[in-house]
Amino acid sequence: MKIVVLIKQVPDTTEVKLDRKTGNLIREGVESIVNPDDRRALELGLRLKDDFSATVTVVSMGPPQAVDVLSEALGMGCDEAVLLTDKAFAGADTWATSTTLGKALEKIGDFDLVLCGYQAIDGDTAQTGPQLAEYLNLPQACYVDNIEKLEAGKITVTRRNDNGYERISLKLPALLTISKISAEPRYPLMGNLIDACREDAKIKIWNAADIGALSQELGMAGSLTQVVKTFSPKGKRAGEILAGEVPEAVSALLEKVREAHLLKLKG
Amino acid sequence: MIRSDAEALIKKTMARFVDDEVIPRAREIDESGEFPYDLFKKLADMGVLGIRYPKEVGGSGGDTVLYCVAMQELARGLMSLAATTAMQCLMATNGLYLYGTKEMHEEYLYPALQGEKIGAFQLTEPEAGSDLGNVRTRARKTSDGYVINGMKTWSTNGPKGDFHTVLCQTDPDKGLKGLMFFFIPTTTPGFSHSKKFDCLGTRSSTLSEIYFNDCHIPEEYCLGEPGRGLDVLLTILAEIRIMTAALALGLHRAAMADSIKYCKERVQFGKPIGKNQLIQAKIANMAVNLEAGQLMVDKVTRQVRDKKPCLNEASMAKYFTVESACKASDEAMRIHGAYGFSMEYSVQRYYRDNRFLLYGGGTHEVLQTTIARQYLK
Amino acid sequence: MGVWVEFELCNGCRRCLKVCPYEAVAIKDDKAVILEHCTVCGACIEVCRQEAIKSDVAERRIPDFSDYRGVWVLAEARGGELDPVTLELLGAAQLLAQDLGQEVGVILPGKNIAEPAPLLARFGAVKICLIEDDLLEPYRVETYAEVVAGVVTEYKPEILLVGATSRGRELAPRLARRLKAGLTADCTALTIDPDEKILLQTRPAFGGNIMATIASRYSRPQMATVRPGVMQPCECDGNRAEIINVSVNISESPVLAASKVLEIVRQARRQVRLSEAKVIVAGGRGTGGATGFKLIEKLAAEFGGEVAGTRIAVEEGWVPVERQVGQTGQSVRPELYIACGISGAVQHRAGMQNSRYIIAINKDPGAPIFAVADWGIVGDLHQIIPEMITQINS
Repeated sequence: MKIVVLIKQVPDTTEVKLDRKTGNLIREGVESIVNPDDRRALELGLRLKDDFSATVTVVSMGPPQAVDVLSEALGMGCDEAVLLTDKAFAGADTWATSTTLGKALEKIGDFDLVLCGYQAIDGDTAQTGPQLAEYLNLPQACYVDNIEKLEAGKITVTRRNDNGYERISLKLPALLTISKISAEPRYPLMGNLIDACREDAKIKIWNAADIGALSQELGMAGSLTQVVKTFSPKGKRAGEILAGEVPEAVSALLEKVREAHLLKLKG
Repeated sequence: MIRSDAEALIKKTMARFVDDEVIPRAREIDESGEFPYDLFKKLADMGVLGIRYPKEVGGSGGDTVLYCVAMQELARGLMSLAATTAMQCLMATNGLYLYGTKEMHEEYLYPALQGEKIGAFQLTEPEAGSDLGNVRTRARKTSDGYVINGMKTWSTNGPKGDFHTVLCQTDPDKGLKGLMFFFIPTTTPGFSHSKKFDCLGTRSSTLSEIYFNDCHIPEEYCLGEPGRGLDVLLTILAEIRIMTAALALGLHRAAMADSIKYCKERVQFGKPIGKNQLIQAKIANMAVNLEAGQLMVDKVTRQVRDKKPCLNEASMAKYFTVESACKASDEAMRIHGAYGFSMEYSVQRYYRDNRFLLYGGGTHEVLQTTIARQYLK
Repeated sequence: MGVWVEFELCNGCRRCLKVCPYEAVAIKDDKAVILEHCTVCGACIEVCRQEAIKSDVAERRIPDFSDYRGVWVLAEARGGELDPVTLELLGAAQLLAQDLGQEVGVILPGKNIAEPAPLLARFGAVKICLIEDDLLEPYRVETYAEVVAGVVTEYKPEILLVGATSRGRELAPRLARRLKAGLTADCTALTIDPDEKILLQTRPAFGGNIMATIASRYSRPQMATVRPGVMQPCECDGNRAEIINVSVNISESPVLAASKVLEIVRQARRQVRLSEAKVIVAGGRGTGGATGFKLIEKLAAEFGGEVAGTRIAVEEGWVPVERQVGQTGQSVRPELYIACGISGAVQHRAGMQNSRYIIAINKDPGAPIFAVADWGIVGDLHQIIPEMITQINS
C-alpha cells in the first residue's frame, strides 16, 4: 500500500495583519506553516501507515524554503518526500498546480491513495484536490473526516456535507481531501526532524524537466485565471450609532447587515 | 542541496507545542502546584528528553545547540516544566550515560529518555551549596560496593524521582579531590524524602530534602573514576550554565511578548501606552538585552557542542541573561500596571519563576566572583 | 527570463508598486526593483509611463471565444427541491447577462427535477437544461461532472456560475478541469469589465484579510463558485423559459463505477469551535445572567453563529470557559461579531477587534466597545435582541 500526501506551505494567516496606511498585507515576520488541513491529511496517512504497514510519500510544490514542510512531514514519520520547485511553477492557479502535481504523481507511480487537505488557508479555494483527481482520472471524496475501512482495492470513508454526512466507498486508487478529523495531528519527533535536515535525508528535489512538464503549461504562463488586482476588504470601522426608537434602530441595523451579506453566513 | 535548518525547525516545533499545549494550561498548573506529567510524557514521546544523546541509547541524535533551542522555547511557556525537562536531559542522566553500564542504560537511561523514569541531580546540602568542598554526604567503600549516608536539600524531583545522581564525599581528608558521583535508585533501602517545599516560583516543581540512611549500592553505581567527581561536574558545568541562560531567554521572551501586546492594546489619554516614551524605553531595554543574551547563548552553545573550553563565557551568559530576565519580568509587571499584580495575567508568574534561575546553576554573587577572578589572576 | 527594470528609465513613481497584485515590487534607492517572487503577470508593465519595465515573456494570445454565449447557472437540487443558492445565482446571472446582452441559462441535473423548472423560469432562467437520470441519484461528483461537462460542451455558455456549497465546491473544480476552464472559488462580487467584456470575479483570500479580483481570459466558460447568501434572487414576472430535456447516456466508465454512496445521514450542524465560527454573538456583564444569555443564544441561532462571553460572563458561570473571548480567553476573527452588553474593556477588545464586522449593543453610549464597532445601538439588549429576531423573521 502506497499513500501519497500532498501538502502546502502557507503563511499563518491568523498572524497576517494589514498595513493601516497602505492596506497591504504585512507578510514580514509571518511564520510559514504546514497548511492545517494538510497536517490532518498527514496524520490520517500516518495512521494508515501504522495500521496497514503502508508507505507514505509526501509531496509539496513551492519555493526552495518549502522544504521545511517536508522536513516536518518526515519528522512526523513519512517515509520519503518530494519537493517540486522551479521558477516555472511560480504564480500557478489551481489549474496549473493540478497539472504540476498530476505530472509529479505520474512520475511517482503506482500509488493506492492520494490524500490532500480540503483547502489551504491562504487561498481557501478547495479546488486543487478535485482538479488533481480529474487529471489523474481518480474517484474522489472531499471533506473526509474518517476512514472507516481499508481493504483490498477499496476504501470506505465518511465525509461531511452541508446537511450531515455520507458514507462512501471508493475503488483504489482514489483521492481524498481531508478536513476535520477526530485525532489531533501528531508532533514531529526530534530525532526524525534532525535526520530530515541532514544531507542524506530522503528528500527528492524535482524541477519542471524532472516531471516532464513544459513551461507553458506551468505557473503563471500555464494558468487560466489571473489576479487582476488585490485590495483591502475595508478601511476603518464606520463606528455608526443607529439612533431612534428600538424598532427603527434595529431595522436600520439589519439593513446594514443585509448590505454586507452577513445575514446568511450559516455554513 | 536544499535542506531545512534543524535549529529553526526544532524551535518552530517546540513553539507550536508550547503555544498549543503549555501556555493554555500554564496558569492552572502554576496554581495547582501539580507537576504536569502528561506534558512531560508528551515531550518524551516527541524525543525531546533524548535530544542531546545519540540514537544508540534511545536519544534523538541532536546536540547542545538544539537542546538549548528547545529548552528556551519551553521556558517561554512554563518554567517549572522547562527546568525539570532540562534536568532530565542533562544533569540527571549525563553521568548515567557516560559511566553507567549497559544494564544500567537499559534499566534506567532508556526509560528516562522515554519519560517513564524520572531522574534527579543532587549537589546541595544544608552546609554545602556553592561550597562543594563541604559536602558531607558520605560514601564508604564496602567489599561489594558503597554505603551512602547523609542528606541533600533543594532537591528537584526529590519526592518524585526514580533515580538520583548524588555528589558524595568518599574521603573527607581529600576535600574536593574526595568528591564522587553515585547513582542511587529511589528503591534503594534507606532512601527517604521530606515533604515538598512551598516556594515562591516554579510552583509545580517538586523540591524537597532527601535522606540516605545506609543505602547500599553496587560498585558499578559509582559514576566515573574514584576521586574525579569534580571533573565529572566540570564536564557539564558550562552546559548547565548555558542551559540555564537559555531558560532565562525563554522567560525574557515571554515577558517581552506580553508587554508588547499589552502596551499596544492598553489605551490611556486617548492613545496606546506604547506611544509613551517611558514605556518605549522599557521595551527597548528588553529588546537589547534579549538580543545580547541570545548572541551570548548562541556563541557558547556552539563552543560546548564543539567541545571548546568556555566555562567563563557560560558563566557570563548565565549571569547576564538571568539578570536581564529579572529586569524584563519586573518591567513587564510595571507596564501592565495594576493588571500585572493580578494572578489573571502571566507576568506575575514570570516575575516569580525567574527567581529560581538566580540560584540554579550557581548564585550570581559566586559567578561574579569567578568571572572577576579570570581577570584579576 | 522574467521581468526587470531599466534603472536609467525608472523615475521611482511607484505606480508599479501599487499595482502589483503579488507585492513583488520594492523601491530601493528611489528605483523600482522586481523581487524574487514575481510571477510575470505583467501588471506593472502596463502602468509604467516611463516604459522602464521590460519583460522577455511572450504575451499570451487570447483565443477567439465568440461562439461562447450566455450566462449559465448550475442548479443544485436534492430530492426535487432547489437549494436556495440556485435562485441567488440566477439573480446575479440576470445582471451579468444584461451587461453582456446575453441569455440566462440553467443546468439542472438530478432525478425528479421537472417540478422546480417553473421556479427557475420565474427567477430569470430563459433556457433550462434538465438532465434527468436514475443514475444521478444519489449525487456522485464523478457522474455529475461527466453529464454537466457534456451539456456545457454542447451549449457553450460564456459564463457558468456554481453555488459554493459543499457540493458545488467539489464539483466545480472537477468540472472545470474537465472543461479546461479557469475557475474562481467563493466569489462575493461578480461584474463585467466594460472594456474587455470579461467576468471580473472578486473573492476574499488570506482568511478574509485581502480581496482579490480575478479574471479568466484564456478559457471558456468563465467559471465561478459563489458564496451562498451573497447574491440577491430577483423575480421576473411572465418570463418564459425554453426547457431542454437532455438525454444522457451515463457510460459506466471505470471512474464512474469506482465510487458508491453507502449511506446518507442528515444531521444538524454540530457546535463549531469559536475560532472557526463565521458569526459570534457574545454577552458580557450587561446581559445580567442566564436569561440574558438565552437571548444571546436565540440571536446566534438566527445567524447560524456561536455563543461566546467575556471573562465576567465566564466567571459568573453564564458561559463555559472555552467560550471566553479576550486576552485571557480566545482570540477570534469571525465575519460578524455581535457584542451584547459588553462594555469593551481592552482585555476583551484584544480578543475580538480583528473580526470583519462588529456590532455593539450597550446601554452606555460612552462604552469603549462602540469605538471598535462598525455599527452600534445604544439601548437595552433585552428589548433590542427580541426586536432583531422578530425583524429577521418577518
